[in-house]
Amino acid sequence: MSETAAIRTAGLGKTYGGRGPRSGPPVHALRDLSIEVQRGEIFGFLGPNGAGKSTTIRILMGFLHATHGDAEVLGRDVRTDGLAIRAEVGYLPGGIAFPDSLSGEAVLDYLARIHGRPAPLREQLIERLELSRTDLRRLVRDYSRGMRQKIGIIQAMQHDPELLVLDEPSEGLDPLMQRAFYELLEERRAAGRTIFFSSHVLSEVERICDRVAIIRGGELVALSAVETLLAHRRRVVDLRFDGPAPDLAAVPGVIDLVVGEGRIGCAIEGEVAPFLAAIAGTAVRDLVIEPARLEDAFLSFYEPAAVAP
Amino acid sequence: MNRVLFGRIVAANRLRVALSALGLAAWGLVLPVVYAAFGREVGAFVRGNPLLEQFSRFGDGDLFSLHGTIAIGFIHPFALLLLGITAVGFPAIAIAGERQRGTLEVLLARPISRRTVYLTSFVAGALFLAILLAVLLAANIVSATLAGVGPELAVGNMPLLWLNGWLLYLAILSISFAASVSSDRLAPAIGVPLAIVLVSYVIDALGSIWPDISWIRDWSIFHLVKAQSALDGTLPPADPAILALIAVVAFGYAWVIFPRRDLAAPS
Repeated sequence: MSETAAIRTAGLGKTYGGRGPRSGPPVHALRDLSIEVQRGEIFGFLGPNGAGKSTTIRILMGFLHATHGDAEVLGRDVRTDGLAIRAEVGYLPGGIAFPDSLSGEAVLDYLARIHGRPAPLREQLIERLELSRTDLRRLVRDYSRGMRQKIGIIQAMQHDPELLVLDEPSEGLDPLMQRAFYELLEERRAAGRTIFFSSHVLSEVERICDRVAIIRGGELVALSAVETLLAHRRRVVDLRFDGPAPDLAAVPGVIDLVVGEGRIGCAIEGEVAPFLAAIAGTAVRDLVIEPARLEDAFLSFYEPAAVAP
Repeated sequence: MNRVLFGRIVAANRLRVALSALGLAAWGLVLPVVYAAFGREVGAFVRGNPLLEQFSRFGDGDLFSLHGTIAIGFIHPFALLLLGITAVGFPAIAIAGERQRGTLEVLLARPISRRTVYLTSFVAGALFLAILLAVLLAANIVSATLAGVGPELAVGNMPLLWLNGWLLYLAILSISFAASVSSDRLAPAIGVPLAIVLVSYVIDALGSIWPDISWIRDWSIFHLVKAQSALDGTLPPADPAILALIAVVAFGYAWVIFPRRDLAAPS
């Protein structure tokens, strides 16, 4: 294992059922997952519902037991060192719930005391997520979804954990709070902390993640830096020009070419430099190259013949 | 044991336990007064009629002795209801209920083991039951004294009755925890132990008032509580021992199973 890995899984798998006639056929929720999350990075974990994201996170947190394979968090085996791991991890589950009879402040106090560590980041987090003292004194049962999520984020981060494991962390946050939350994550990364989070919001993954893993049907289909992933993605091009049309048919990466009167539509896969070189002599009136989006990359991995870059 | 969690459990359940204690105190005050007021007349009336006499022996008690009256109160459905809230309801909410709501997940994301959560919850439940039974018996003593029948009460045997009753409810608590740690949802965590308790109770009640089928009482855990015998000082030691064994086996089952279970995402 790498010295710097915060999370490492090797051949990790989880199968339900298949143990007898009454348990039904086996369901492979996770198959042979091998990933390595480096210390100090923000790692996005993507996949549609039922892909195995939550199963992976729950194995890492010790809620589920892997059927096969190994998993280590901060250099410790999840099977044998769960308590030591959870002492160093901040966890935000999806759809978090708290004891309804407590105020937000009491929830944070209670969870910090159970953790047995001081909460040096709490005040800062409360301020950045714009929770007032009045808000904190209200009972959690009266909180909106967004307010609960803020308390969830604070309880996960308040003790400045070495590793943050976040399941759909920006759910329920308004755009302003999402931005504040992304800044908080970037600050934790700058402080050397590791963040591992699952998300359906591809724009946030694209914005803050260093690397992403994409899983489908319990299997890893891609694992790379966000920039690398985007570099391989298709960009749609709309070129308007005067005079003769440039010959783009043989330009590397140019596909779906449609040539019209004074207008060319095409797509570019990979580098745009060969395309720009090919139109250098053209009297361009307008040129639109849509930015590569992670969403396109993400969707392409769910096509039947998807291949990892 | 985790002291922070224990404090939280006590705080979360104090109102429920206090209300149950209030109900049991009231119930404990009633029966010795009833005995003092009507016991002799009831005894004279019932003793001449074998059928009524048999029916009056519900749960091994009677209404024409102080010990028998206290025994009926001890095993009466009202007492069962108030103690069952803690013995059955508390374990279901403490594990399966918290699990279903998602709050158990937040707790277990801390450096606290499942066994610690279970043990802490179990100790709290056992303590609640100990307090509730003590309140019931203390109310019996106060009531008997105030009603002028205190000399008929073997106060020295009350701790034995308390122990016998506590072991019964401890066994139910253990069974309920075993169901609770085995379930992801609240309904089966309450339903399974409640069914065991109700079937067992009905078997004991039927067997105690219908001599021809008295043998079925051997299949009821309530038959292992002999309140009048405890007060009379003639409690067979095997009965509390069997209750303790049931509690230990159920506790051990949950102790082994809970850490091994998969805790899937709350529904």
